[in-house]
Amino acid sequence: MDLAALKTQLKNFVQSMFEEGVLDNQFSQIQALQDSTNPNFVEEVITLFCNDAERIINEINRNLGYQNVDFSNLDSYVHQLKGSSSSIGANRLKLACANLRQASDERNKEGCLQALQLITCEYCLLRRKFQALLHLERSIVELETNQK
Amino acid sequence: MAHTLPSSDQSSDQDKWDSGGLECKGQLLIKIVMRNRLTALVVDGDTTCWVLEQELLHSYGVQTLGVDNSRDAVDLIASDAEFNLIIIEKILPVLNGLEVTRQICEIGVRCKMLEVTACSGESERQAFLAFGVDVFIEKPLDPEHLVPILRELDGQ
Repeated sequence: MDLAALKTQLKNFVQSMFEEGVLDNQFSQIQALQDSTNPNFVEEVITLFCNDAERIINEINRNLGYQNVDFSNLDSYVHQLKGSSSSIGANRLKLACANLRQASDERNKEGCLQALQLITCEYCLLRRKFQALLHLERSIVELETNQK
Repeated sequence: MAHTLPSSDQSSDQDKWDSGGLECKGQLLIKIVMRNRLTALVVDGDTTCWVLEQELLHSYGVQTLGVDNSRDAVDLIASDAEFNLIIIEKILPVLNGLEVTRQICEIGVRCKMLEVTACSGESERQAFLAFGVDVFIEKPLDPEHLVPILRELDGQ
């Protein structure tokens, strides 16, 4: 596939993520921050986000495994995940965090478990799509480098 | 532990600054030309957030420092480090954002303080404002909120 076609494919792929509500405009702002002085910024941020998100989701899972759930501890983790989701433009994941926040506020363990299931699904979807996005970006960079 | 930006080309940033303006990094970022070199401290325990906030500030020519816990933030301020802008998250390791804000104000710091947080109720918002925070923003920190603040600090 040539460079122009790859760039179109990437653009369309990101657009589909916006249309599905997986990403919101905040992700466009992150793309806008990438330039020649910071050419890998998007990949760096995605990698940081995914590492943190997985750690937090595992911690939430562990917390909800206890008979007596520490809801204030849980609040901190949900708050952090919602914050990073908002900051990277992960729209559906952010909304899923709001569900968990509400269940946690109500001290509803069953509700929290259901909300966590949704968060896990949304995160797995997002991670798959981010992996595909980064694969396309790397292919573009490789082609651009070879053409120089 | 204080942090600097994870990646930055200092010499090319200096060239951009010395040329008297700012290279626009992308169509989505609101363009402004800063007359002064502003400094900012970002206090956020979440790596993704403080990397993004620092890079956004950096794109507007703001020299930034980031710390990921409240203790380092208070120690930095207490050691007479000066900033035009301090951005604080509500939930932080060691002390919460409200307590950090209170301690920073007690030290006598008089600069613009922004609370940028994931979610908060009205009572918490009012508490932060009462403690000395100037602006309360729900994440993400975006140019629409940031640019008017930078313009004000720049005397525009």
